[in-house]
Amino acid sequence: MRFKASIQNISTFTKLTASLNSLGPLAWVKLSDDQVCFTIIPEQGTQVWAVLSIDTIFETYTVQSAANNVINLEVPLTSLNRALKSATNATSAQIRLTKKDNMPLLALTIVTASSSNSYSAFPTTSSGIDGGFGATPSEEFGANNRETIITQEIPVRVLAPDTVAGLHEPQCREPDVHIILPPLLQLKSVSDRFTKLALVGAKSGPGTVTSRTRLEMAANMHGCLKMAMKTDSMNISSVWTDLSNPELDPSQVAGGEIGISEHPSTRMKELGTADGRSEEGWATVRIDARDWGKVMSVGRLGGRVIACFCDEHALILYVYLPSDNGEDESVLTYYVSSYSA
Amino acid sequence: MVVLNFSLTPETAARVHDVLVCLGKFSDTVAFEARKERLTLTALNSSKSAYASFTLDATRCFESYEFNTSQSGSDGRFTFRMYSKALLSVFKGRLYDPLGRDGAIDRCEVSIQDRPDETHCRFIVKMICNQGVVKTYKLTYESVEVMHALFDANAAKNRWRINSGVLREYIEYFGTKTEMLDIFAGEDGRAVFKSYTEKITNGKEILKHPLVTAVAVNTSDFAEFDVQPGLHIIISVKDFKAIVTHADTLKSDLRANYSVPTRPLKFWYGNEHGILGEFTLMTSGDYQGGATPTPIPQQMPSRAASRAHSASVDNRSFRSDRSEMPPPSEPASRLSARRRATAARRQASPKPVESNPDSLFVNDEEEDAQWEPVDYNEEEETLGWDASTENANTVFPTFRDSGTLSRTETEDENVEAVAPTQRVSQVQGLW
Repeated sequence: MRFKASIQNISTFTKLTASLNSLGPLAWVKLSDDQVCFTIIPEQGTQVWAVLSIDTIFETYTVQSAANNVINLEVPLTSLNRALKSATNATSAQIRLTKKDNMPLLALTIVTASSSNSYSAFPTTSSGIDGGFGATPSEEFGANNRETIITQEIPVRVLAPDTVAGLHEPQCREPDVHIILPPLLQLKSVSDRFTKLALVGAKSGPGTVTSRTRLEMAANMHGCLKMAMKTDSMNISSVWTDLSNPELDPSQVAGGEIGISEHPSTRMKELGTADGRSEEGWATVRIDARDWGKVMSVGRLGGRVIACFCDEHALILYVYLPSDNGEDESVLTYYVSSYSA
Repeated sequence: MVVLNFSLTPETAARVHDVLVCLGKFSDTVAFEARKERLTLTALNSSKSAYASFTLDATRCFESYEFNTSQSGSDGRFTFRMYSKALLSVFKGRLYDPLGRDGAIDRCEVSIQDRPDETHCRFIVKMICNQGVVKTYKLTYESVEVMHALFDANAAKNRWRINSGVLREYIEYFGTKTEMLDIFAGEDGRAVFKSYTEKITNGKEILKHPLVTAVAVNTSDFAEFDVQPGLHIIISVKDFKAIVTHADTLKSDLRANYSVPTRPLKFWYGNEHGILGEFTLMTSGDYQGGATPTPIPQQMPSRAASRAHSASVDNRSFRSDRSEMPPPSEPASRLSARRRATAARRQASPKPVESNPDSLFVNDEEEDAQWEPVDYNEEEETLGWDASTENANTVFPTFRDSGTLSRTETEDENVEAVAPTQRVSQVQGLW
């Protein structure tokens, strides 16, 4: 079993681990010849299935194992994220799977050459009074190419193929509405504010905290997205209009052109209006606002996000990471399930 | 009767704040030892495995310094101790602010009230602020004998010196929950700082094991490096972080002197501003049984017999007749015996490295923070309005920028009120 790669895009990798870590502490990482998969299946809340092309984060990548060159690992994301953060200013970073005292670990080797030493730029000078204590003022420090090697060892667990065989990506019916989301930071700050309002005096009112922070998300096929929250004392909502509903690609839909004409979203196009005032044509899901806040953490990666609404059932987010060649796109899929009304 | 009066410039008062923060990481109490020519602040941790001391030079640190003692047998010293938290609430951060904003002072005057005709012993601090405001704090102190650690510099042949800013970079790579730091002098011209935890875990727990971080540095990056190759020496990473963080505030070189594992190690730095920081730490070195053997002859400390002693107040006549401030030390056997207990204690209180609150630069992580899920339980100061009807005094609706109002956000608050929707930090351009 061998895995070794140099990290080409430290910043993306760091942001990815930070986003995933907000949903769960452990990730199932599947390394294979052509892609890297990160999967978070928390006990409660949103699942993430991320499929990344190798060159999104790695280069000079080798993976070998007896099981078709696939390696499955369980990785603590907090440690991985912390380790990657120390590579922020690295000139190079390598990651490999190794063993120490019979314990498997991911070893991250980071080379930094920090020549930007602010203290050497302004050498401390003596205050003009000598003697007494014996220490001399710090000398001008050799600022040229100080090379430091940092090794971070992240404990991991190697998962047998049988262990992961039972893990499957959730299946979902064809969505009623698909829409490109507005900037996530906007969505996040609005939903965070709603949640804060809903939590006011949470104990004095009836119902549990979770029922109070239920966020209602809805979208139609005319570019509208609605976010609402209702409690006993308030009813608050925001509507976005002029968003875009991407066209379906016949080659990607079962049944081709016929499939599209029978697709739920085609029927939804008949209903509703572009100003978002109509009562019709909305596909609605009810989700936990706190969980939504964790999902929004993915915004830091800056990808394009398409939300697929299955009315009263589930919300699926596809986060497409920007890639250089435009071919092997990397996608993070978030499965957010809907509460019943 | 004791006379101790001194006054500090705002810069020095701010440095005293930094010193107190550093000492607070070792112990709850700070011990003072006043002498004619210097004032020493020390802290010894509860397991007596780490000793920190800061010496403030009487002529260089203070605007004025006056010390007199008439007590017999006190050999010209006056010692007492105080809670570091109490002192920190007086010596707050931002005492020194060239723009003279909130919290800035013009001068700080300290005196000791220790007279037979007064009932209480008091440590009196006067903060002279702008516009002639004077804040006076009277703190209680406990008059006790101070314990110092001895260190035998002659036996400590291994030494290095490095810019503290460089070390400061290194400690930021360390994992948050690690306990130990192994300082290793390699034979290939590199020194390795390795932070790790000695805990053995199994099964699922393995994944909770903290990061092991090794930082390999060219010895040429040190201003001075003279250590026996192959020597491992292990100290507490928490102590190291506290020391480096403070040394960096003085922007001075950190120096280390040590002999062999299980013998004390000494860090020291400073003196550019009349403040000398000295730390004596217990060490161990049996980690992984590596290249720990020790050809250095185990010289008995020249003052092996002279254990620094502690005497209670009632026992003043028993005060030491040392004329010099003693070099610190603890018998090594005792130190190693306490290792376990220390390790356990340290585990309980990992302290994250604080970033400089005065920094003008936006923290790298700050930008990232907006993506973090909101913790709705946190109580941040928020802009709100008073919506309570009970308050008869409020005839007119008023806006209040109130920290107390944010209490309504907590779940156990019974008063029904509309929570503010915006944080003060987000408001721009109104004032």
